[in-house]
Amino acid sequence: MKKALALILALVMALSLVACGDKSGDNGDDAASTELNIFMWGDYISEDLISNFEQANGCTVNLSYMSDNADSITKLTAGAGSEYDLIMTCDAYMESLIAGGYLEKLDHAKLPNAVANINEAYWNGDNKDYCVPYLMNYIYVVYDTERCPIEITCYNDLIDPAMKGQIGTVDGARNLFPIALIALGYDPNSTNETEIAAAYDWLVKFNENVVAYGSTEQNMVNGTISCMLTYDGNASWAMSELGDKNTLTIAPFTKDAVQLGFDLFTIPKDAKHADLAHKFLDYICEPQVMADNLVEFPYSCPNDAAIAVANDNYKNDPAFDFDYKTNVFFQEDVGDALAIYDKYYQMLKVG
Amino acid sequence: MTANAPALKKKRHNRMPMLAQAGPVSIWMILFVTIPMLFIIYISFMSRGTFGGVEYTPTTESYATLMDATYFKVILKSLEVALITTGACLLLGYPFAYYIARKPPEVASKLITLLMIPFWTNSLMRLNAWMLLFQTNGPVNNFLQAIGLTEAPITFIYTPGLVLLGLITNFLPFAVLPMYSSIEKLQKSLLEASADLGATPRTTFLKVTLPLTFPGIFSAIILTFIPALGTYTVTDMLGGGKVLYIGNIIKNQFGAIRNWPLGAALSVLLLVITALLIFLYTRFAKIDDLEVL
Repeated sequence: MKKALALILALVMALSLVACGDKSGDNGDDAASTELNIFMWGDYISEDLISNFEQANGCTVNLSYMSDNADSITKLTAGAGSEYDLIMTCDAYMESLIAGGYLEKLDHAKLPNAVANINEAYWNGDNKDYCVPYLMNYIYVVYDTERCPIEITCYNDLIDPAMKGQIGTVDGARNLFPIALIALGYDPNSTNETEIAAAYDWLVKFNENVVAYGSTEQNMVNGTISCMLTYDGNASWAMSELGDKNTLTIAPFTKDAVQLGFDLFTIPKDAKHADLAHKFLDYICEPQVMADNLVEFPYSCPNDAAIAVANDNYKNDPAFDFDYKTNVFFQEDVGDALAIYDKYYQMLKVG
Repeated sequence: MTANAPALKKKRHNRMPMLAQAGPVSIWMILFVTIPMLFIIYISFMSRGTFGGVEYTPTTESYATLMDATYFKVILKSLEVALITTGACLLLGYPFAYYIARKPPEVASKLITLLMIPFWTNSLMRLNAWMLLFQTNGPVNNFLQAIGLTEAPITFIYTPGLVLLGLITNFLPFAVLPMYSSIEKLQKSLLEASADLGATPRTTFLKVTLPLTFPGIFSAIILTFIPALGTYTVTDMLGGGKVLYIGNIIKNQFGAIRNWPLGAALSVLLLVITALLIFLYTRFAKIDDLEVL
């Protein structure tokens, strides 16, 4: 009995070794591709959209999901072309990725919908040759008018001692430090260590008021927090979840800029199915296709033509109803200063 | 040479079954444990690439960073939490293991199954359930308010207390099982002999039961303390990402912060701490027969 068990175990182990080496894909099909491999955030694109695209083009779309922005950078810089045809990343890394030659240049002739429909303002400069913006998000402050102790009109209100135990916030060095830098009157993408250190001191006070990082919308709905620094899409979810009982409001900022970030699709260098990748990029920029996608994923959208045909729910979403949409800043590539941010971020979290 | 040849041949022949038995395991361990471990140590001496990858230029920078007081604080804090968790698991687990071991075998196996059932689901599911139960307008708070025990909802989630509770429930079975198998092996005749010789139940427990079940207790300590020291899901979810322990810091180095060499160095540090503790224990307790391990 024992011997038989040992034999089975040994066989299983040996088999799994064999299985490790057995990861062959279909390589080298130069004709029209029948397979498209996409690496992106999970739960971020409509399944209908994917299956419609598969039917229209007679192909299979394989979706793999990242758990962190860093994942896609790791993939891209390690030469992801052999594995993926489209990789989602965010605007903050574009400069370095282009400079490092990790991206395939886009052929705009194959992207008529993208060129026509994406608002030029959201597609700045050099980036246009290397990416197509998918959805975008504001990171702003939302609070509950009934439960929040004070009215929030600027970032400095968040470090008011009255806000202790009230705040939930998104996490990440490059999401947190900019608001501190703006509150202190500095450049949100500062590379100056003295300024970043000052921002750290500000964030220490902020941290004292914070209940939890992440899951902001759930914490707001279940009453754990009364104020959140969050993405517009998450605020939208919280507001619709509360329905008639919604007392959430977007903080009426007058001066401080809010962060606007993009999730973009890029084609990694030497991607095997670049032809199909172009088709996909153009497909998601068709107004009706994107409008349908927005029903399921009501985030801010850089595609003006799609917004025009979007349903009323989307157009009247209270989460997008604020008047400082143009007073924004972008996360820029800070290069080596990222290490400084990380150092202070670590200190902040260790306490 | 000539005289030795037949003997050697015979020996080699005898070795075959042993090779067949130990071979796959050895290859398995070398491929999936030793090599990755050596690679971690190797990475920890490399530098961080611009994009957060690993650049293969040797440096001891990561270890220099570890000297920072921040990390010292984290390690102390992590050790403290792991110690409390282990202590609580032992105190709760030992009587429970004792209770099960003294039941007839068919009842005992049912009780063990009951203990294991919650672990058939993913631990993230269990943690999410905890979050739902304990959230501000969740069932626990509603119940407390309904029976008039509290006026306003109590904030349970994202507090150190709930983190600890989560850790203890997560690791309790790992403490109970080795102790159960140790106590179960304990011969009743020894206890009877002790009683016959005039020992009170208390003395019997302290002088006979406890020393004889010590291997099980020690296994329980190792099986709870080490994972508790390195855990990050429980502390992340129930702690709201506000307080970081060493496991969270390592996870962040490989995730958001993208400093793999530092993450590797921290892992090596954790490895050293664990090895040191095991070494101390074995020396101190002079045990070489470890239950379960």
